[in-house]
Amino acid sequence: MPLAQTASSVHAAVVVDRREPAPGIVVLGLRVPSLEESVRPGQFAMVAMPSGEQAAVALAIYEAGAQHLSLMIVVVGTRTAALANLAIGERIEMLAPLGNGFEAETLGDDVALVAGGVGIASLLLLAAAVVRRGARACLYYGARAAGALVESDRFARLGIEVSNATDDGSRGYRGFVTELFAAEGRRHSGIAGCGPTPMLRRLAEVASQRRIPAQLSLEEPFGCGVGACWGCVIPHAADENGAPQNLIGATRNLPSLAVGHRRTTQRKDERFTYVRVCREGPVFWSEELRW
Amino acid sequence: MVNGAVRVDPTEPDLSVRIGRLELRYPTLMGSGCYGSGEEYAPFIDLSLLGGVVLKSVTRLPRLGNDPPRLAAVPSGMLNAIGLQNPGIDAYLERDVAKFADRPCAVIGSVAGFSVDDYAYVTKRLAARDEIDAVELNISCPNVGTEGETFACDPELAEAATRAARAVTGKTLIVKLSPNVTDIARIARIAEDAGADALAVINTVRGMAIDVERQRPRLGNGSGGLSGAAIRPIAVLAVYEVAQAVRIPIVGQGGIETARDALEFFLAGASAVGIGTGNFTDAQAPVKVVAGVRDYLIARGKTRLRDIVGAANPAFAGVRA
Repeated sequence: MPLAQTASSVHAAVVVDRREPAPGIVVLGLRVPSLEESVRPGQFAMVAMPSGEQAAVALAIYEAGAQHLSLMIVVVGTRTAALANLAIGERIEMLAPLGNGFEAETLGDDVALVAGGVGIASLLLLAAAVVRRGARACLYYGARAAGALVESDRFARLGIEVSNATDDGSRGYRGFVTELFAAEGRRHSGIAGCGPTPMLRRLAEVASQRRIPAQLSLEEPFGCGVGACWGCVIPHAADENGAPQNLIGATRNLPSLAVGHRRTTQRKDERFTYVRVCREGPVFWSEELRW
Repeated sequence: MVNGAVRVDPTEPDLSVRIGRLELRYPTLMGSGCYGSGEEYAPFIDLSLLGGVVLKSVTRLPRLGNDPPRLAAVPSGMLNAIGLQNPGIDAYLERDVAKFADRPCAVIGSVAGFSVDDYAYVTKRLAARDEIDAVELNISCPNVGTEGETFACDPELAEAATRAARAVTGKTLIVKLSPNVTDIARIARIAEDAGADALAVINTVRGMAIDVERQRPRLGNGSGGLSGAAIRPIAVLAVYEVAQAVRIPIVGQGGIETARDALEFFLAGASAVGIGTGNFTDAQAPVKVVAGVRDYLIARGKTRLRDIVGAANPAFAGVRA
């Protein structure tokens, strides 16, 4: 059964907490008085620039509670730097919560959480939801070096076993987190992944080989973030009318779509259509992606 | 009439605009391809405070659109190459258009094509629907190979497409012009003579960004259309020049994010403004534009927006509608 859609809205927020778990990574705690409904794991916010002079930035909602949420910002450019430099007491506006998030209910009772870099930010709320329903979870978490592995303790506190991978071997397995996960022979009931696209593609292959259902939270450059511009699309399985198949969560007012055909590595000629990462996603079933 | 241009408070400046047979309560149209069908922005803004929404373009046949990535952020703007993703006019009329009936602002259909016959065929079928208040002719999409924009860059094709669309509908016909031409005023005159009720000035400016690490263009399509603040001066000049050449109303657009931006366009000679990428910076931009323009008029003792249209353009040739 599709999840109910949390009502999105424009919210004014005040920075009430700021910490820097690693150089260039900032977690902003925000008081959002108008945030009444709960946020689902994997949903995101479009955060307006304080200057109002550049496009808003899409950020995963890291933590959420009554009238409160936090965002993890990795400084990669001028916009993320402007947000990371916000001080306590400063005000920002955002559109939130957006997108269809993860679906903890369909991941089974032994869930693998696989994070690459800042992808960790999409998984904490999911980890809590998995634990809350009595399921077991392991976190496989990779970054370039030990110093960029942040907030693992938040997962450990939920009783989740954490395994690390680093490019330079400074902590845990030396290499990609997907290699670490593939080497770990454990038969999980479901996978939830978030990280850079190459990592997710590899994770999709591993999940397919092991026949483990996987929900992947994708990253694409966003324009509007609300489904209006069709800039952030990915190819997704579709029926003969172009209707995307097996989306996670509610599909609100999905317009008619053109259908295409594509050869993929594992499948022969298959139908697909372009769906919006910001609206039909950002989380999709790995098996339905036609990338 | 769509959203009755009735003034309730005589102390409020009159911001209404008449474009052909279309009356807009507010002089703001949401740019085609930037606002979906309006529904996408309904959680974030009161749609009744918009003049209208220009829908995403529809073509005769279904189009998948371009391969991703379709967007690239660049200084002061954005490159896009969506590629007219749409289900084709048959599925669009059958399944989608009925959903636009309850919009509390004007709904303007957008038609794109690859032949004169395409423009006539799609315009006729789309304009026949009650849910559609007016039609914008997108003869200037820069992201579908050479065919899409050819119509706005070739005087004969611009004339033929406009004439063909004019012949099949009595509803307001807006022709959207490309800035990627030598003399936009000339194309504007041709579109006016061919029966356009209004002109949308401008579509995006062609551009490219290259990923220097991977040594290839950042967009899947290679080139794209540049929008945002980066193109505002280009758009203001285009409006200024077109306003000296035609008498029909101009919808000025290109990088409008604030009321002051919009005022530049009104003063150059636009009767209404289009807001596209500006919505991505601030979802409330359309209401802030209207509020700021209203304040500007009040501060100058003006009772009607149309009184300042073309005020900075000594050779303004239009009608202050």
